[in-house]
Amino acid sequence: MKNMICTLVTALLVASCVQENKKQTVTLYVDVSGIKDIKTVGIRGNDKPFSWDNNIEMEVVKKDSLYKKTFEINTGRLCTEIKFTVNGDFELKDKENRKIYFSDSKTTIFRAKFDVVK
Amino acid sequence: MPHWAQDLLLALPRIVCGFLLTSSFGADKFGLPWSNPDNGLGLFEVAFWFPNDVAGYGGIFAIAPVFFAWMGAFAEAVGGLLLLLGFQTRIASFLIVCTMLVAIILQQWQQGMWMMLPAMGFLWVGIFYMILGSGRFGVDYLFTKKNK
Repeated sequence: MKNMICTLVTALLVASCVQENKKQTVTLYVDVSGIKDIKTVGIRGNDKPFSWDNNIEMEVVKKDSLYKKTFEINTGRLCTEIKFTVNGDFELKDKENRKIYFSDSKTTIFRAKFDVVK
Repeated sequence: MPHWAQDLLLALPRIVCGFLLTSSFGADKFGLPWSNPDNGLGLFEVAFWFPNDVAGYGGIFAIAPVFFAWMGAFAEAVGGLLLLLGFQTRIASFLIVCTMLVAIILQQWQQGMWMMLPAMGFLWVGIFYMILGSGRFGVDYLFTKKNK
């Protein structure tokens, strides 16, 4: 009993306790060329500002071809999971989410083609 | 128990719940060697989001959110491992019972009975082993047997 309490207290004291939270700036580009009748291109994902219920709309770089979105995320995780949407329809149906691994420089740029896994 | 098969049957909930706590519920928010590497958790580190959740419970939890978050995560991750092994079973069970009571009353209560079920399951199992100890198929039994 005494050993257990000592171990617990020592672990509490020596542990780094809380995971470090880093601010990351992420820019996502998605190529949607070849898809017809594009009204909106969006992102859904795990971490704020994203959610799996609502689209966050991407900005047009080149209409009906290239879209981008820059966002900031405060996280201790090494990556975040997302999927792109066109007109609210998910890409990569029944497939795993895209994992965006953050750069050590705290600025991450990710390029993808809609519904295509590298 | 008079027969080893009865002890084996009684050990099953302990082993299953301990495994689920340490491998999934605990390892998601507390750094263990088997935590998902993508979560970026160091050993014995509590996930960055958990103290914020705990602070949201208000009262004493808002005063010392890091302490309570660490204790709750430790209870699930390490307490789950101890429960699985049947080592210091009563202490591990006590930690798990406290954590589950907090989860039920302060986190899941507003979300209805269905959402409370996982925490309630661990609570009943925790109470059960806090009273009974590990039984024949646990590390505690080996130590107490040697002492006798």
